[in-house]
Amino acid sequence: MSRYFRELSVAGALIVVLLGLAVFAPAFYQPQPLLSLLTREAPTLIVACGMALVIISRQIDISVGSQFSVIGVCAGLLAAKGWPLGFVLLAAVGIGALLGAVNGVLVAGLGLPSIVVTLATLVTLRQGLNLVRQGEFVNLPDGLQWFGLSQSGGQWTLLIAALVILGLLGWGLRHVAAGRFVYAVGSDTEAARLAGIRPQLCTFLVFVFLGALTGLAAMMNLVQSPQVQPLSGSGLELKVIAAVVVGGVAISGGRGSLWGVFAGLLLLACIAPALIHLRIEAYWEKAIQGAIILLAVVADGVRSRRGGAKS
Amino acid sequence: MKRDWKALLLRHETILLLVLIAEWVFFYYAGTSTNRRGVVVGFGTLDRQFDILRHSCEIGLLALALTPVIITAGIDLSVASLLGLCAILFGKFWHDAGLPIPVAIALTLVLGGLAGALNGTLITKLRLPPLIVTLGTYSLFRGLAEAITRGAVTYTDFPAGFLFLGQERWLGLPTQAWIFFAAAIAIWLLVHRTTFGRSFRAIGYSPEGARYAGLPVERRVALVYVLAGVIAAVAAIIYTARLGQAKADAGLGYELFAITAVVLGGTSIFGGAGSVHGTLLGVAAIAVLKNGLATLPVVMRMNAAEEMAGLLTGALLLVALTSSVIPKLLARWHTRPHVTVSPTLKPKSTA
Amino acid sequence: MKSFLRLWLVAGLLLGSMAGAQAASSKLIVAFLPKSKGNAYFISCKAGAEKAAKELGVELLFDGPTDSNAAKQNEIVENWITLGVDVIAVAAENREGISTALRKAQKQGIKVITYDADAMPDARSFFVNQATPEGIGYTLMDEAARLLNNEGEFAMITASLTAANQREWQKHIEARLKEKYPKMKLVAVRPCDDLKDKAQSEATAMMSANPNLKLIMSICSPGVPGAAEAVKQAGKTGKVKVIGLGLPSENRRYVHEGVTDTVVLWKTEDLGYLTIYAGVALAKDELKKGAKSFKAGSLGTFEIQGDNILLGKPFSFNKANIDQFNF
Repeated sequence: MSRYFRELSVAGALIVVLLGLAVFAPAFYQPQPLLSLLTREAPTLIVACGMALVIISRQIDISVGSQFSVIGVCAGLLAAKGWPLGFVLLAAVGIGALLGAVNGVLVAGLGLPSIVVTLATLVTLRQGLNLVRQGEFVNLPDGLQWFGLSQSGGQWTLLIAALVILGLLGWGLRHVAAGRFVYAVGSDTEAARLAGIRPQLCTFLVFVFLGALTGLAAMMNLVQSPQVQPLSGSGLELKVIAAVVVGGVAISGGRGSLWGVFAGLLLLACIAPALIHLRIEAYWEKAIQGAIILLAVVADGVRSRRGGAKS
Repeated sequence: MKRDWKALLLRHETILLLVLIAEWVFFYYAGTSTNRRGVVVGFGTLDRQFDILRHSCEIGLLALALTPVIITAGIDLSVASLLGLCAILFGKFWHDAGLPIPVAIALTLVLGGLAGALNGTLITKLRLPPLIVTLGTYSLFRGLAEAITRGAVTYTDFPAGFLFLGQERWLGLPTQAWIFFAAAIAIWLLVHRTTFGRSFRAIGYSPEGARYAGLPVERRVALVYVLAGVIAAVAAIIYTARLGQAKADAGLGYELFAITAVVLGGTSIFGGAGSVHGTLLGVAAIAVLKNGLATLPVVMRMNAAEEMAGLLTGALLLVALTSSVIPKLLARWHTRPHVTVSPTLKPKSTA
Repeated sequence: MKSFLRLWLVAGLLLGSMAGAQAASSKLIVAFLPKSKGNAYFISCKAGAEKAAKELGVELLFDGPTDSNAAKQNEIVENWITLGVDVIAVAAENREGISTALRKAQKQGIKVITYDADAMPDARSFFVNQATPEGIGYTLMDEAARLLNNEGEFAMITASLTAANQREWQKHIEARLKEKYPKMKLVAVRPCDDLKDKAQSEATAMMSANPNLKLIMSICSPGVPGAAEAVKQAGKTGKVKVIGLGLPSENRRYVHEGVTDTVVLWKTEDLGYLTIYAGVALAKDELKKGAKSFKAGSLGTFEIQGDNILLGKPFSFNKANIDQFNF
């Protein structure tokens, strides 16, 4: 029970918010808008899964937003050139893996601190994209939206795909050796090394994996509308890291699960529509988001002080 | 004697100084020219150098604030958001509460310190990771600034006496430069010449060891964040004076440049090592780069001053990081264990 | 070390001499500052400006912050001052803040002209006004009223809560609403941070929270396609109308599908074109204070009211005419 306390408490908070909405703003629960909301958040969930792995292995990657933007624009341009969707998907995942590998080499290979490396790649990618694109939208060819399916067909496909990926990753993290290695490296690198794991390779692969997932997420975003805006990934890293932290993954590494991340993401994604339904002014959004992050973190800290458990 | 010179030359700060001189010389020659009116314009003018100085004061102050924090192996992502919040509070104190400017400034500094204390308390009392706490306050402070002003209110029409701080010169240099220099000297003395400041490095290197050595680790770490908060408030005052307006988006994005300057200057993000003069060199290097690029005709033709500056700063950061790690890698390479496998058992011989 | 430094010096000298040679040309240099370089609205202003610059044989410098940022605007203007350009044309993000820098420019003999968003009147010679914020606000509000037959609920999407020009337009829209359309109600105002995707989410939530919503107005240009996509996905095409300030190219698809009814804009290319012509005329002393009209190349004559050069009313793009424009 106490092992999953953190995840359960986030889920509990989410349920409280949902109940509150049911009482004060029942209009929130209409099927089509909810479906649209969840589909919009699906790409973020994918990236959050990848980020959770990175944070569990005691690293961080704040360049995912810029990666998302770059991959989105590249994929859009390829699609506009007439490439079939399957190839565009492969290209997106490939570019993402490549960008992740750059981070991975610098962090795992050279031992550089991940916050600074990914800060540098964040700035470089964002400014490089601005230089080339100057903010101009990429118009996608017809028939690309929703994979060419109907709107609800496409939305359900994306949702189910996201949940399947979440399920696979969640299960894999616990039950596949590679997943457990990530926890090991995050808890204690030396012990992991002595146990026969190669921490540097593990760290490198975790960044590559995050990059690949970001590429996949960018594709999932691409098929949801007929245009790509280069600015679109802006702020993604904050959203994702917030979801991961609120979901119970410890920034000091070695702890956390994807289910908590899922709950954390849903909780944070509810804020904006909840404000609209509850008729609260928009300028409270950032303050509320910051307060939730702090509350989650403080709750962590208080609990670990009392329980004496390593947070 | 010879070895001392070599060590001095290879120190991070020396290399950074050389890079700074090199880029300054480069921009001097490539970015200065005579325009149609026969006036010498561009990088090489005194006006331009003062502009560089003026613009780097705020980020410089934030970088100064971050240096002790990072030396203690912490980090503070919220300094720029705090700048925004303090700017708004200052505007509110002066405009809505009608307080005289000096009182408003003093009150803002106190509130900046309190905000820093929030960070410090959460980090030391609850043993929370600085990255996450300051990620939360990064949102919270900016959010409060937006909520207080409902995003809309902008405070302007400050008296000329106040604007003097940000827009005019005093004794030949831009006014805010004097404030920045004073702060720089104070922080340098604190970090390098007081036992208090020297303990930062010990705390960053090994908090447990420092605790056993009798240092009040929690108190010092908390104070470092309070200091960062106060300096952010000073930067907010200067920002408002320079622009003549206090808005909720003041200082948006500055934390990236401040952290870059600190790391560029040789302070390790892992804590335990670093110098204030390194940070100052880092701030100078970035400021010269940003402003110098804008004076190059080729960059102007590409309409790309900001992007080029961002790209090159990112690249510079990566190069600096990589080069700082090379000596360690070389050392590891040189002392790698040599393993020889021989087919027959040889009698053991001493190396 | 020493030879390395020497190499730098030689390289610098070479580049410097090249730079020097280029700047010694006798062309007028006009510097053009948008509020935000990435915003398609200003990109199309730039197209008009470039056309004018080519016709007049002057050199055009275009640079601006990537996101609306008053501090960065000041930095860029100060760049140009020390560079010694002849004309500076500015769309001011912050009226007072930019004026200090502009006055400095004027003191050095640089001609200053503003467009799209004005600075303090003493800091510039003329303001090229595409339409007053009042005119824009009124056009949008009147269009919304026309589509809804003067009654019903509508919502607004803006860029950010702090952007000055958005606040201006919102103020005038609300004033017009109060004055002329008592049977209409503004139920929500949300920022989208210039992100199309966020605008889409906000629009979706606004529609589900306000079942009687009849129209969404976006005064932020990426917000118009975002809101349109939200309406389309909610299956409310035709039931919830979409209008806003935006570019034809970003909205063409939705206008043809009947999701977006009207996109209002200035002929932004004309705005850029007129601004450059006015700026150059100022520098050549052909445009003087007190003039009542001004002729700008192939665009014809424009009226001057006081020190405002008026481009004219905003232009409404709709299904009938949107294909004629490619910006």
